[in-house]
Amino acid sequence: MSTGRAFSVALVGVEGAIVEVEAALGGGLPRMVIVGLADAALGEARERCRAAVHSQGLGWPTQLVTVNLSPATLPKAGSHYDLAIVTSVCAAADRFDSEVLDRMVLLGELGLDGRVRSVRGLLPALLAAVAAGFSTAVVPACQLGEARLVEGLTIWGVDDLLDLVAVLVGDPPAQVVPATDEPAGSAESGKDLIDVVGQLEAKWAVEVAAAGRHHIFLHGPPGVGKTLLAERLPGLLPDLDQSEALEVSAIHSLAGLPLHDGLVRRPPYADPHHSASLASIVGGGARMALPGSISRAHRGVLFLDEAPEFSPRVIEALRVPLESGRVVLGRAMVHAVYPASFQLVLAANPCPCGNAGTRGAECRCAPMAVRRYTERISGPILDRVDIHHHLAPMSRTYLKAAQSSGESTAAVAARVAEARARQQRRLAQHGWRTNGEVPGPALRRLLPLPRGVELLDEAVSRGRLSARGVDKVIRLSWTIADLAGADLPNRDHLHTALAMRRGEQLGEVSRARA
Amino acid sequence: MEKSAVGRAGEVAAVQHLVQQGWNIVERNWRCSLGEVDIIAQTPEPDPVLVFCEVKCRTGLGYGDPLEAITWRKLARLRQLALTWLGEQPQWVPRYRIDAIGVLLNRSGRPQVTHVEGVGE
Repeated sequence: MSTGRAFSVALVGVEGAIVEVEAALGGGLPRMVIVGLADAALGEARERCRAAVHSQGLGWPTQLVTVNLSPATLPKAGSHYDLAIVTSVCAAADRFDSEVLDRMVLLGELGLDGRVRSVRGLLPALLAAVAAGFSTAVVPACQLGEARLVEGLTIWGVDDLLDLVAVLVGDPPAQVVPATDEPAGSAESGKDLIDVVGQLEAKWAVEVAAAGRHHIFLHGPPGVGKTLLAERLPGLLPDLDQSEALEVSAIHSLAGLPLHDGLVRRPPYADPHHSASLASIVGGGARMALPGSISRAHRGVLFLDEAPEFSPRVIEALRVPLESGRVVLGRAMVHAVYPASFQLVLAANPCPCGNAGTRGAECRCAPMAVRRYTERISGPILDRVDIHHHLAPMSRTYLKAAQSSGESTAAVAARVAEARARQQRRLAQHGWRTNGEVPGPALRRLLPLPRGVELLDEAVSRGRLSARGVDKVIRLSWTIADLAGADLPNRDHLHTALAMRRGEQLGEVSRARA
Repeated sequence: MEKSAVGRAGEVAAVQHLVQQGWNIVERNWRCSLGEVDIIAQTPEPDPVLVFCEVKCRTGLGYGDPLEAITWRKLARLRQLALTWLGEQPQWVPRYRIDAIGVLLNRSGRPQVTHVEGVGE
């Protein structure tokens, strides 16, 4: 009985584990058996591999082929093991010198005609391979661009099985080098802040949210521009740095989004519809837990429009990721950990008809209905939101006056970038990037307290602010000070922060900006 | 060549192969109401095992290897046949197994015989 082996990678969350694919020939009637906790897609590799090998004119052994995926107790899912399986079988049949396989990982799905197709999660898989000390990788040619993002690997892109054989016998094909130019700056979707008429206070609130990565809740009657504003928030955020870009790209790769243009440099944006299921938001799947919206919005913005229409279970599931910045999906056999450090943007109407509390409009809802509607977003979630902002509809004269005074996204983004730079200078030594992610204790011990902090004692003693709320207000005041170019938040900044946190109309805002 | 002739030629080739290996042919084409066993043979001394052989013969690979045509259904029937044959024997048979023999008839030259042992489990 002859054996051969090749290596591939199994993904558990964004972590990769090296899988040894062994093949043994002989010992029974010709057929193929795959052992090692393979899921349905992997089980079908049997048919794909055989047909692919036949159609490329290579012989498939007419013996019992036993393929073992080791470690045998780790559940394996997906179709990317095809290349490693074919290679281990060919190695067992002594088609080439199997020495080359010792430092090589193979990833790729096979078509019946022998073509090599793209796979999900190539980037995190290759990162794991580098970490495990592998030096060479064989990947689908169509994903060369993505594979090249990983440093420290010799990468072979293969179009079909004949290419693979050529690589294995040491006669590799000329490599196609795809263009790896950096994407041209911020190729934003053309949504500019200048399109939003009026709502200066709301724009200010969004600016503060962008500058400090604070969670924000926009509420108000229909048609005042909540959605417009929220959609323009990602455009205000600065580009991701290298390590952030790698994290975000790894999740994109897992979610099956193409990475032709290199690493994802812009903060991602996810706006799931309110009919979304729990698994689609937090991530899920029976054996292979896939990233959900909160992970796809990692280092970016998660926008829940019409938040009270979401299932309360879905909203409540955000509590832990909001605090920890990651989500642990437990299954019987594995625990997948996905990063989920997102900026939450909620938008809601005050009641089912949308007019409650709006001057000059009549609310037709029963008081109980209004109350039930607002209660659909629970206290614990609202407590985690830093900025509560109520948008009021504009009067006609105001509309006219406001028409000319809009600021463009570029202008606001420049201010945000400046504020971010101030935060970097202050926080980088502690390992944080923005005010929004500084933990409460550090806020009070490592950084100086804002001037006039006794303002908060009063709010706490009156029961208008929770302990978490105090931290939130201090973080906000830092961001407001950063935007104002101050080195330490003063009483005014603190006052504004307190008002923003409590969702009060901000008469002070204009003062703070002046 | 006709279908039955291919089968017969394959069995002849298989028997030749076994005899060359020093096997003792016990019975050929044994039939009962359940079906037919192609070859019943005994492996050479010193440790003889009774072997029920299924022979599959083909003239080309267009429909796959001959051995691939031996399905689990055929093997299940062969197991039943083996037990039936054993039940009819006056003496006790301590050990037996089921083998598969694939024969590929080339238009020229010797038939290619592939012998796989112990496929009955």
